[in-house]
Amino acid sequence: MVPKDPAVETLPDQITTPGDLNRLIRELDNLDEYLNQAALRSSQEPSHLPQISKALEEVASIHSLQLLKPDDRKTFKALLDEIKKSAPTIHFGFATAPSLTFLAKLVSWLRSNIHPQILIRVGLEPSIVGGCVVRTTNKQFDFTLRKHFVLQHDLLVKSLSGLDHE
Amino acid sequence: MAVAIIWFVLAGKHKNAKHPKATYEDQAKSDVEHIFNDDFRQELRNRGRLYFEKIIGDNAMFLQQDLRLTTSQLNEYIKKEITQKLQEEFVQYEQTIRDANQIALASITQTNKALETESQALSAQLQQEFNAEKARLIKRFEENMAEIVNYYVLAAVGSQVDLNDQLSFIIGDLQANKDEIIKDINNGA
Repeated sequence: MVPKDPAVETLPDQITTPGDLNRLIRELDNLDEYLNQAALRSSQEPSHLPQISKALEEVASIHSLQLLKPDDRKTFKALLDEIKKSAPTIHFGFATAPSLTFLAKLVSWLRSNIHPQILIRVGLEPSIVGGCVVRTTNKQFDFTLRKHFVLQHDLLVKSLSGLDHE
Repeated sequence: MAVAIIWFVLAGKHKNAKHPKATYEDQAKSDVEHIFNDDFRQELRNRGRLYFEKIIGDNAMFLQQDLRLTTSQLNEYIKKEITQKLQEEFVQYEQTIRDANQIALASITQTNKALETESQALSAQLQQEFNAEKARLIKRFEENMAEIVNYYVLAAVGSQVDLNDQLSFIIGDLQANKDEIIKDINNGA
């Protein structure tokens, strides 16, 4: 089965970071190893899959791949390697550790608006109060509250000096 | 006096003499020897000693009186001289004290004026520096106001800010910079 173009397929929301993708590849390797050994022992292809993660199952389903078939697993592995190699990664710095729900919503928006296979790295920067710092390959975007304070400097001065109440 | 007595005796003897020259001489020698015997000489010595002692005593008394008078005069003179000298010294001392007092007063007045001038200059300089520091602090505060407010907000509510509440805010910023992000991703490293 010919896999679909990895450049246009969207990754599931469970896979948000390069670490998630690596875990998916490791899981697929383990599954492939397990199924190969099972096939060697019984000289037949196994009829059912062991316990696998929802993300792996979802990605396989998106690409119409059957994990019981060695060729499909091989294709799947090549697909994941290609995604790993080509998927853009951007870095987000937050004041506190974001929840999975928050990351899922953020990645969903990014994949809808920026790139369908985008991955994010999350870092902690306690010095920022609110917002985040975004680093792409060559640029950095400051979306922090501090930056907004700087941009609204005159309004801040007016507010602090009470001029806006006169 | 003793010499007068001797002369008187010899004169009397000479008036009554009627004998030749050699006889008179022998007679005179004999009389002299008779008159000026040892007792008479002793008497003369005693009288001379008494007279000399009297003269000495009188002179000593005069000398003592004169010495007392001289001492008294000398005391008066010394007293007068010392008093005069002391008065002159006191006058000079008072003048010196007065001069020193005037110099000290002038110096204190001058010092006070200088201190007052210096104090005014220092006060003006301090006021100027205070104003400059105040302006510098205000300027610095205004320049770093975003950092200061950010630090304050971080210290006040930093741990209570929920990321989920900021999602729309973050997505709004991402939307505003969407084209730039896409362009940078497509360009790659």
